[in-house]
Amino acid sequence: MTLSDTLDQAKWTFSTRRVDRARVAATDTNFAAAKPGDLILAHVDKLGQHQRVQLPSGRPSLIFPGDAVVMACGARYAPDQFEGIAEIDPAGADLLAGGGCIGRMVARNSRIKPATRLVPAGRLLDGGGRAVNLSQFALSPRPAAPRPPVIGILGTSMNSGKTLATARLVLGLRRAGFRVGAIKATGTGAFGDFNEYSDSGAQYVGDFTDAGMVTTYLEPLDRIKAATETLIAEAGHRGCDIVVMEVADGLLQRETAAIIADPWFAGLISGLVFACGDAVAAAGGVSHLSRLGLVPDALTGLVSCSPMASAEAQAATGLTVLTKEDLSDPAEATGFALRAGLGRREAA
Amino acid sequence: MSARIIRPAAVSDAPPLVVLHGISRNAGTLARLFASEAERTGRTIIVPHFSSEKWPNFQRPSKAARPDLALLALLDLVAAEYPDISGPVDIFGHSGGAQLAHRLAMLYPHRVAALHLAAAGWYCLPDDRMPYPFGLAPGKDAFSAKMLRQNNTALRDFLHIPTWVYVGTEDVMRDDALRKTPSLDAGQGLHRRARAHTYVDVLNAAASSAGISPRACLIELTGCDHDVVRAITQNNLAVRVLEARGPRI
Repeated sequence: MTLSDTLDQAKWTFSTRRVDRARVAATDTNFAAAKPGDLILAHVDKLGQHQRVQLPSGRPSLIFPGDAVVMACGARYAPDQFEGIAEIDPAGADLLAGGGCIGRMVARNSRIKPATRLVPAGRLLDGGGRAVNLSQFALSPRPAAPRPPVIGILGTSMNSGKTLATARLVLGLRRAGFRVGAIKATGTGAFGDFNEYSDSGAQYVGDFTDAGMVTTYLEPLDRIKAATETLIAEAGHRGCDIVVMEVADGLLQRETAAIIADPWFAGLISGLVFACGDAVAAAGGVSHLSRLGLVPDALTGLVSCSPMASAEAQAATGLTVLTKEDLSDPAEATGFALRAGLGRREAA
Repeated sequence: MSARIIRPAAVSDAPPLVVLHGISRNAGTLARLFASEAERTGRTIIVPHFSSEKWPNFQRPSKAARPDLALLALLDLVAAEYPDISGPVDIFGHSGGAQLAHRLAMLYPHRVAALHLAAAGWYCLPDDRMPYPFGLAPGKDAFSAKMLRQNNTALRDFLHIPTWVYVGTEDVMRDDALRKTPSLDAGQGLHRRARAHTYVDVLNAAASSAGISPRACLIELTGCDHDVVRAITQNNLAVRVLEARGPRI
């Protein structure tokens, strides 16, 4: 079987969605040289936590031992699953994320299975013998243009309700008549959040993979900031009036902590929603954000499911707690847009 | 909710006009009376109909009904069909329709280019002299608190909307359809004519205190009572609405 045949039959994962497959001309097995974002062809060895991969079409695909899969070498930070680094051991590697992230697992949540094991087959190279890397297919930075205002979504942790909040605020803003961009600034490439934003009516959806990274974990802060700016500018060029931007994981996670501590972030956002699991998390998170000079406009997340917990959170922070229904209500969402400067009529 | 869309043969650049009926739900009559104005001015005219079966309450957003959501969805549908009119709209409402019109504008000022309010029974005054839904002082339930928060957020933008308030000089009856409570009578007036005066005064005062040029104008329809058909046929109300000019932003 030729390389072309192998690649045609392989399952290309969601993180490779921007790759021009015609660019691939050869492979090598110099896995020691693999860098984050390099494309790796591997075969499934033994199924573990991930029994599916995500395809660029937005469909999950079952995988079976022997299947050929094309992924990007990358790290992963997911407290509910794995921590992994961007290293490829020729003897065997780990499927760190179903969106298409291959690397070496270094820590695992005890409640989940070991990672699905992969046998690396080759590092994909272009006609010049250079590694094919996601960064080569990234959006180009746009020239300066009117930048749409950004509503930031932060949370106490993974699974605190950030993605739902992002999607529902997108829905509310769209219902209110705004053209909305949805951006995921950090995390590991996967289509779950991407699809949820899209399903909610976002006119433009982008994540760090569109800016050339399979994951932002262990990436330099300046690269993440530049990627975020590129995504926001892209949303503006696609005609979005406003952007809702999710920053993954919790406030204390490495990249998230660095981003929100950077004065750039406060200057970037025109509104902030904080998703939290309970009232104590709300109080602690709001206090932490306050030390960074950030004041959320509202709380949301799992805490909002409980009227009692919401009342506690509201009493502790003085902030309004919004449910997912509130965020998707155009009357509520309009407030975020107006506070961000949209719709402001000429002052007398 | 259904709606009649009146598209003139030659469409102008001016915003479409949404015409909201009152509790008589006479959308067909209003559509007929405004149709010639659509052709004359090139304005697209949208006349929704809130049926009594599905919309027993349509005059304002409430826990029981969200006519604002229905109207936003309608505007989205119309914009999808006619992309040339996807921007803010002018809204005319009579009686209960005027109530809905100004409450919609208070929540979504970015969707409204101009307001034309004819003979509302009562208003949401844009200050804190009366509790929500009569004004913007705290109300008594969670829904009111939510609406109050949303209205206050959008208030500054709302106060920029050019607003014409129409009322008949004879619209002074305290009929069965008029809401009458001691606090409403004291806070807004005994009848629609008085309440229209109060509303315009309060709206302009609120704008002034916010540093915004007052944009509300009261137009009294001589000899007219609460009958919208008479206002249109004898007092040229439809013509006045379509020809009203003010500072559009």
